[in-house]
Amino acid sequence: MINTNKKIKSILYNYTPLFLLYTSILNDIDFNNLEFKYFSFNFVYILIFYYSLKRDGGIGYVFIFIAGLFNDVVNGIPMGISSLCYLLLCASAAYLRNITLRPSLIKDWIFFLLTILVLNLITFTYLILFFSYEINYFDQTINTTFTFLLYLIFSYLFKIYDNFTSGKFN
Amino acid sequence: METSRDDFVIAIRSAFLRKGNKQRFSLLSLILFSIIFLVLGNYNFKVINLNKTVIKEIIYFSSFIVTLPENTIKKSFNKISNHFIYYDDYQIVKSKLQELKNKDLSKKIIMYENIELKKLIDDYFIEDSQAYAKVLIDKESKFLRSIVINKGSKNGVKVGMTIYDDIYLVGQVVEVNFITSRVLLISDINSKVPITIQPLNIQGIMSGFDKQKGQLQYIKNERLINKDNEELTVVTSGSGGVFKSGIPIGKINSLDILENNKIVVNFYKNFSQLKYVKILSHTKEKIQLDQNNKDTFKEGKEKISQINNQVEDIRLLQQQKIINNKVRIEIEKENTKLKEDLVNIKKKLAEKNKKIRDNKIESKNLEFLTLNLLHGHKCRKTMFRSKLYKIGTDEYRACVLSKGPIKSN
Repeated sequence: MINTNKKIKSILYNYTPLFLLYTSILNDIDFNNLEFKYFSFNFVYILIFYYSLKRDGGIGYVFIFIAGLFNDVVNGIPMGISSLCYLLLCASAAYLRNITLRPSLIKDWIFFLLTILVLNLITFTYLILFFSYEINYFDQTINTTFTFLLYLIFSYLFKIYDNFTSGKFN
Repeated sequence: METSRDDFVIAIRSAFLRKGNKQRFSLLSLILFSIIFLVLGNYNFKVINLNKTVIKEIIYFSSFIVTLPENTIKKSFNKISNHFIYYDDYQIVKSKLQELKNKDLSKKIIMYENIELKKLIDDYFIEDSQAYAKVLIDKESKFLRSIVINKGSKNGVKVGMTIYDDIYLVGQVVEVNFITSRVLLISDINSKVPITIQPLNIQGIMSGFDKQKGQLQYIKNERLINKDNEELTVVTSGSGGVFKSGIPIGKINSLDILENNKIVVNFYKNFSQLKYVKILSHTKEKIQLDQNNKDTFKEGKEKISQINNQVEDIRLLQQQKIINNKVRIEIEKENTKLKEDLVNIKKKLAEKNKKIRDNKIESKNLEFLTLNLLHGHKCRKTMFRSKLYKIGTDEYRACVLSKGPIKSN
């Protein structure tokens, strides 16, 4: 019985981020486009950054790469752009993990902001220069701001979940 | 300094090149792979396009399957919430139905008239092909508002076909795969629809602005001020041949025009509630020239030439009539003038006749007086000549004029 519980918890610990990643990409409900005019955030960025930072190897680079392709196809944007952004996010999180001796949430938070700003810069530049997309910068600013702000809350929630599934509460 | 640079290089190398516990590829190789994807995506190679199509088909259907539970919950929730508003809806629908029934007849007449007029200017389109499709994915991307439908090149769908919900414009097919297609909604910022604003008949371009709204471009707010405060209707103009003309899109509230800087079009349809859509392509009506039609065409041509001749005759007659009218008016004027002259002449003649008569009387009197001097004594009654005439009597006058009494035989 204890072993079964451990197994379930282990599965939950290992695969919940992956499940969340793919569900949020393939589902119709997208936090990037909620019904509110002045509220949206990029849940996938938070998820990938948090788990790449907290776990060695994160969710799995290949899975993240495929998720990026899925996201591009579902959203109808050029294939590869989201993969590149997600992988760069992983790279920045891995770099931060490597240089950090004493983890601090605030430092992670600020680093996350810098990273998503750079990623947005890459995405917009690519879409505008090569594909002549028109982008609503106001919406994007709101999205980036809330992504940054909500990182704190989600990192706290993910931490609780990880503690629970990894058995640290027991 | 040297040490910190080494640390940085080590951290970067570790981040990019080190494989994790269960990683098969390093981060750098995957990043390079993504860049290759992006670069190849810009080129239109058959092999790449085929691969892209296969990947897209798989992902669309995966997405459709993943969203099934969510859609079921959504549908159930909508059903339940709709049940609560059925009665109110029924009352509204009932009153609207009555209104529509009244409008229906006049609308039909206008529609036929419109078709006839459009045929005259060679702008009448008939439905070339029609198909219905189910909306597979309705994911509102932050870069592209679009939907994926379950009809592709297998079903004859082509890029550029128009997508309707009922009679209202939804969007245009922008990507066709074998069994799926992507539709760019008109609510997307990148969609540019040539429109006409009725009843002011102003042309413009509309792009997407919000989920339920579009924004007019290249039109000044002042031009849209409607004195009657009527609701302005936005329909496709048909310019550029992208969409056929007259497809309803939305409406503009005239009261909002001056309050907002942007001219906002409220769409008739809620694009987030699309379940099935209609795919249509239009072509201009073509007349098949078989023998019957040739005869009909010949007859029609003759009739047209006859009518043209008649029209020419009528035109000449009308011109003649105009000239005749002018001549008649001139004659009437002259006639009036002559009548006036005649009256004047008659007046003068009467005056002269009177003068002549007076002169005659005067000359007679003068003659009488002259003769009276010479022969008055022969006629005047005196004591010794009692048979003669008293002065002033007619007999005396006659006697004077006959130069003495007339001797009887």
